[in-house]
Amino acid sequence: MSMLSKGLVNHKIFNMKKINAILFAGLALMAVSCKKYLDVNTNPNSATSTTPELILPQALVGTANNLNGFNSYGAQLGGYAANAGGYGGFGTSISYNFTSADQIGRWSATYDNLEDYQYILNFTKGQPVYSYFAGVAQIMRVIGFQLLVDAYNDVPYTDALKGSDNLTPTYTDGKTIYKSLATELDSAIAKINVGAAFPGVTPLGAADVVFAGNMTKWKQLANTIKLRLIVRGKASGVAFANTTFSADGFLTTDALINPAFKRDNGRQNPKWNTWAYSYTGGNATLSWIPTRFIVTFYNGTKVIDPIRGAAMYYQYPSVATNRLGNEVSGTMPSCPSGGPWYPSTARVGASAGNASGALKGPSAGYPLMTAAEAYFLRAEAAVVGITTEVAATMFTSGITSAFNYTLLKEDGTLVTPVAAAVTQYSTDNQTNPFVNFALNTTTAQKVEAIITQKYIAMNYVNSEEGWNEYRRTGYPTIVWGTNAASDITTFASVVSESTAADKLPTRIVYPSSEGQYNGTNMPKGISPFTSKIFWAK
Amino acid sequence: MKKIVSFFTLLLLGLSLVASAQAQDGSVKGKITDPSSNPLESVTISIKGKAGKAVVTNARGEFEIKAKSGDVILISSVGFKSEEVKVNNVNAKINVTLKEAVNQMDEVIVTAGGIKTKRKEIGTTGTIIKADNLVAGKAVNIAGGLQGKVAGLQINATNGGVNPSFRIVLRGQRSLTGNNQALIVLDNVIVPSEVLGNLNPEDVADVNVLNGAGAAALYGSSASNGAIIVTTKKGKKGTNAVTVSQTMMAEHAAFFPKFQMKFGSGGGAYGYNDPFAYYENQSYGPAFDGTMRVLGAPLEDGSQDSTCYCATSGHSDFWETGMTKQTDFSVSGGDDNSTFYMAGQYADITGTTPGDKYNRTTFRLNGTRKIGNKINVSYNTNYTQNRYDITTATGSVYDNMLNMPNNVQVTRYKDYINNKFATFNDFYNPWYVNPYWQAAAYRSGVRNDYLVANFEIKYSPIKGLDLVARQGLTTRNASNKDFNAAYKYTAYRKTTESFGKSDVTANVSDGSSYSTNLLSDIYSQYQTKYKDFTANVIAGGQFRQDQAQSIGVSGAGLVVPNLFNVANGVGTPGASESNSLVRQFGFYADARFGYKGYAFLHATGRRDWVSILDPEHNTFFYPAVDLSFIASDAIAAIKNSKTINYLKVRAGWSKVGQANLGAYALKPTFGSTAYGFPYGTLPGYTVGNSLVSNSLKPEITSGYEFGFDMNLFKDKVTSSVTYFSTITDDQTVSTAVSTTTGFTAMTTNTGQTYSKGIEATLHVTPIDQPNGLRVTVGGNYTYLDNKVNFISSALPRLALATYGDGTGAYAVAGQTFPMIMGFDYKRDADGRVIVNSVTGIPTKSDTISYLGGANPVHKLGLDGSVEYKKFRLSITLEYRGGYSAYQSMGSNLDWSGTSWRTAIYDRKSFIFPNSSYWDGTKYVANTAISIGNGNGNNGYWTDGINRGTSTNYMTSGDFWKVREVALSYDLPTSVIGNKIFKGVTVSVQGRNLFVFMAKDNYYSDPEYSDAGSGSNGMGLTGMQSPPSRFYGASIKFKF
Repeated sequence: MSMLSKGLVNHKIFNMKKINAILFAGLALMAVSCKKYLDVNTNPNSATSTTPELILPQALVGTANNLNGFNSYGAQLGGYAANAGGYGGFGTSISYNFTSADQIGRWSATYDNLEDYQYILNFTKGQPVYSYFAGVAQIMRVIGFQLLVDAYNDVPYTDALKGSDNLTPTYTDGKTIYKSLATELDSAIAKINVGAAFPGVTPLGAADVVFAGNMTKWKQLANTIKLRLIVRGKASGVAFANTTFSADGFLTTDALINPAFKRDNGRQNPKWNTWAYSYTGGNATLSWIPTRFIVTFYNGTKVIDPIRGAAMYYQYPSVATNRLGNEVSGTMPSCPSGGPWYPSTARVGASAGNASGALKGPSAGYPLMTAAEAYFLRAEAAVVGITTEVAATMFTSGITSAFNYTLLKEDGTLVTPVAAAVTQYSTDNQTNPFVNFALNTTTAQKVEAIITQKYIAMNYVNSEEGWNEYRRTGYPTIVWGTNAASDITTFASVVSESTAADKLPTRIVYPSSEGQYNGTNMPKGISPFTSKIFWAK
Repeated sequence: MKKIVSFFTLLLLGLSLVASAQAQDGSVKGKITDPSSNPLESVTISIKGKAGKAVVTNARGEFEIKAKSGDVILISSVGFKSEEVKVNNVNAKINVTLKEAVNQMDEVIVTAGGIKTKRKEIGTTGTIIKADNLVAGKAVNIAGGLQGKVAGLQINATNGGVNPSFRIVLRGQRSLTGNNQALIVLDNVIVPSEVLGNLNPEDVADVNVLNGAGAAALYGSSASNGAIIVTTKKGKKGTNAVTVSQTMMAEHAAFFPKFQMKFGSGGGAYGYNDPFAYYENQSYGPAFDGTMRVLGAPLEDGSQDSTCYCATSGHSDFWETGMTKQTDFSVSGGDDNSTFYMAGQYADITGTTPGDKYNRTTFRLNGTRKIGNKINVSYNTNYTQNRYDITTATGSVYDNMLNMPNNVQVTRYKDYINNKFATFNDFYNPWYVNPYWQAAAYRSGVRNDYLVANFEIKYSPIKGLDLVARQGLTTRNASNKDFNAAYKYTAYRKTTESFGKSDVTANVSDGSSYSTNLLSDIYSQYQTKYKDFTANVIAGGQFRQDQAQSIGVSGAGLVVPNLFNVANGVGTPGASESNSLVRQFGFYADARFGYKGYAFLHATGRRDWVSILDPEHNTFFYPAVDLSFIASDAIAAIKNSKTINYLKVRAGWSKVGQANLGAYALKPTFGSTAYGFPYGTLPGYTVGNSLVSNSLKPEITSGYEFGFDMNLFKDKVTSSVTYFSTITDDQTVSTAVSTTTGFTAMTTNTGQTYSKGIEATLHVTPIDQPNGLRVTVGGNYTYLDNKVNFISSALPRLALATYGDGTGAYAVAGQTFPMIMGFDYKRDADGRVIVNSVTGIPTKSDTISYLGGANPVHKLGLDGSVEYKKFRLSITLEYRGGYSAYQSMGSNLDWSGTSWRTAIYDRKSFIFPNSSYWDGTKYVANTAISIGNGNGNNGYWTDGINRGTSTNYMTSGDFWKVREVALSYDLPTSVIGNKIFKGVTVSVQGRNLFVFMAKDNYYSDPEYSDAGSGSNGMGLTGMQSPPSRFYGASIKFKF
């Protein structure tokens, strides 16, 4: 354009022909350069293409962050945490009268994370070279959808994650999804096996921030997730197509997501970041402290366990506790700097870390699934006849694994040797059926012992699993009351508005975004007190 | 391309030569000046009854004409009222000051593309605001000076503060989620709308508002929203003028939320069993009793503050008196070959929010130069720099301050350094920090430097032909530093009382950006005449390039106190970068044909190519046509009418395309920094959350308008009425979608909106006496019906701006645009609120519903002026009505218990008004079941039902504002002499002197927008500082 104007302005003699010639030349030049001039729409800010190798690590860390949100939700609903002194406005967190504005992150973050796995599945379709990536993405997809069903029951599944091909996905009922998820896990294992037999298959390599490329462990995780689906779903009438497991066995070590978390901007272990200190050394959350109920499983009221108590909590046994919903002035302790779940006495955020318990430190891995959970699932599966393993052995392994997880510090060393601690635990609780499995005779008693131990093991580790299992089995047993004495018999909020007998909610409700953008399909009339997940008691 | 080439050729081949000349003679001398005492050139002087003897004034406004005693000299000039002067003495000098004409039908005005056209030839509606009118109220931003003055123009100050943002919309909103703001054109160059706020209003010669797309079609795809054409001053031939002026304006917060004045500190969590709580921020304590009570926890030294337990006006006293100081100078002059205008302004502003400061320096140099006989060169250069020193925490400071019980006098805490009860550590309230400290600790320093310049060469090789080349440049260079200071609590404060104190770590973020917009224009214009016909044909091309980059870095956990440098943080500093490059080509043709000077047909066509769309869809053509018919010249019956002295009938139709999306929006993207990635050498990408439809096309706005301009009784009554209707199709919509799709937003073409309405102006001059007393009253009225026709079957509604619970502004098929949606109470068939038959507590609706349109259906601007000799008084009022607003602060006020509504039942148990309950078979009126706890927290007022029911905070948006009142006085020569000063003018003026909101609105200004000036989601107000009134005085010296 500027060339044309120059031609016109500098031209001294007004001559039609010359002007025309210049115009023609200018316009012809422009026509050629026009296309080139306009071809400037290549994005210089963000990538517009990528590969499974780049998506997978981020997706796995995304799952850790999503699980962290579920841990907070499980801790609040499942009796692990109560409101702390100095804060107000807990609203539905203590009344349980959930609205579509509550816990919306559970929904949105899970689907957001699932889309990354879906991208890998779409990308790798028909490419056996990417079989490992496809298999892992499918296992993780199942984990995501199980989180959703366990929180919301019916959710978009078949129609979900299709982008613009389906903007208003219909809802599939929880039972159907459970059945399909088990089949998906079979398919995931098959994909990994195809990959193992495919020459030149792309290894997961550094992208696998869980098992460092160990495909057997991924298959074990798949089997264990499948076991969780079956244990939770079978009794509620899910007609699983295949209830056998691949020969790879179950998870025997903790599956931890760790891309090399460290004390840095956005790179801390998400749970540490939420509950202990920010990377700058500032306090994270000070509005929650342990419930008086959960401490009874350490302080001898229900179980004697001073070792894990001290490994879990700051200043145990005098850790600050409260009953959920209690806001009576003077009866609610405040949260210590760094939070009660960071057991060390060094309370300077900038140097905190390397502790035991649920948080451990800024560089600890995030538990995707612990070995303890796997063993307790196997114990229950054995008790109810899903498998033929020995329940007592699995129960003991579960306790050992749980001790191991709790006693491990950030740097991989133990605060107390596990074997000695477990022995001490058995000795202290010789007559306690929650610890001495042999004391339980009926199936119900056995399941209660297993679930109670799992409830302890999941404390701030995967709190959502403790909450799920309580809703499914009713364990640990609670007895409602509003007086101070009942603070240790129930974890239900003292100001609960629930209409249920246990005064607990049974679920959260669909987020407002679904009402806004998928209102036609969204199930209506969902009550947080009566609309149960299909497997709930 | 072929088509354009041939068009060009045809046009140029059609050129021919026309010339004309004039002659002069005379013996009576005189000088003609305008009302500002500037000489007027080219004024026609003739002798009544002797048509052939006309002469014109020279550059100094002087003339000489042959005349004899008793002759009547006729003085006429375009844009001015004609005068008649009787010659009594042939030798006496005749000096006449012409008054500006109201009916400026022959006035030459600048329209789209910088093309000058006579007003009467234009078939579309437009309003010209002259400099005097624009700056009467001394608004620092000219948008403020336009408020209420133009039919069809809605200007919202969307926030308060030292430099408010304005949203400028003509004829309602067209685009669902794209840009709806009017195009801003400065000296014929398209500029970003932020330039308007960085322009010295004193530099503006006039503002031409082109309401419709048709009038602005030549500007290309940005024109669908209408245009505001700002022309700056130029020097005048033969006049050298120097002006210096000084303005001082005070600013006061003018409208406050309504508070309850009965109850003080206390709250459910701490106060329910213990009604008074000395550290409580909530006002759910006992009724005020006038006793002295302690306030805040004891200090480490054992002392404890106390105050009267009674209501104070603290909430209103928090806001300070702001001060605006403007210093101006200008120098202008010109000779036969060149003119120049140079001006500077320094504006220094302190705001109503404690500590907020802003200053702006502008410098302008405009000039023209003739080179030989055929070349005219002109240039406009403006450099502006502005500097902000403001708090980043206005919203939370306001929220924090509103949270204080009325027994707490906020201003007690101003001295947070020396007053031991006001320190960060020992502030009475453990949950909210001292708002004064907060305002001082959370700061933002912003610098913006603008250079806006253009250069134009006009080559007129033959009579009638102009070849014009113009290059415009707008560049902005900006940087900002936002930071917050650290604070550590003492060990005593951390361990006493159960407050969970958390130290504040210091953070800093620095940003730097530039944007450069280039606009090159070249066009040829040819004007000719054949018998009764005139023709004016234009063909041209335009090239536009907008380039921008912004870079941000941030550091957290700053180690050395008060060293706000990103290198002083811990961990990896945050970093971000964003680039944008957009190009556009356009070719256009414009033809205007006239017949006998009373009928005009005007047609334009333009084709654009844009870089931001896919090559398949990146070009679009848009035509426009309009007709103007001067009935008062064409039809004898009207021409001879004693009543009607001017009547123009006009009609126009246009179609304009707009590529309403940013650069790089065609392909979905992947994020690379989610969840802390990269971890060392391990990168990780995530699928972005936005979907893009495959073939995005431009939005097309088509519309028509028709109307008339009519003057009656020798221009004593002037009026203008326009009906317009536009429809915008194929909307480029970015909408939220269900997260279950795997995404949260999608960009697609869908939907249709329309806006139609009436724009009318009427001005009457009932008094215009020879002694100089002149009174003009009038105003403008706009009726606007702005709705969404449909969006798509999959997306019946779009969220434009929403709060977390879904309450917000939406675009909804079949509804006013925008529509406020939110939660209501559950109601029975009779509309009564359904309450629980035991607790008496209502329930909130499950889904959001329509709560009210946010488009003001009726807008009325009233203005009046009285001139008498050296005095001039002017006033502008504005009314808006027929719409609603959601006042989000209401929910915060209810939480804190300071709001008026929380005390309407005296904090006692109450029966929910107009309610019913289900008795097992039917809904029966509730006359007995009362809500047990009428207090806060465990009580009704702070619970989710009350605060989550959006209808509780819906108010009418109606208001009346006295926008401007100004009184000026020119000091007489007897006072100032005539040696040093040519004139001295003193004036007093006020802006927004009074605001009258609707009765149910006791929250905030409905002009505000919580979504910001760029969002179409109007109708939501937040925690912006209260609306202000300004008043002050100016003095202006002319040398």
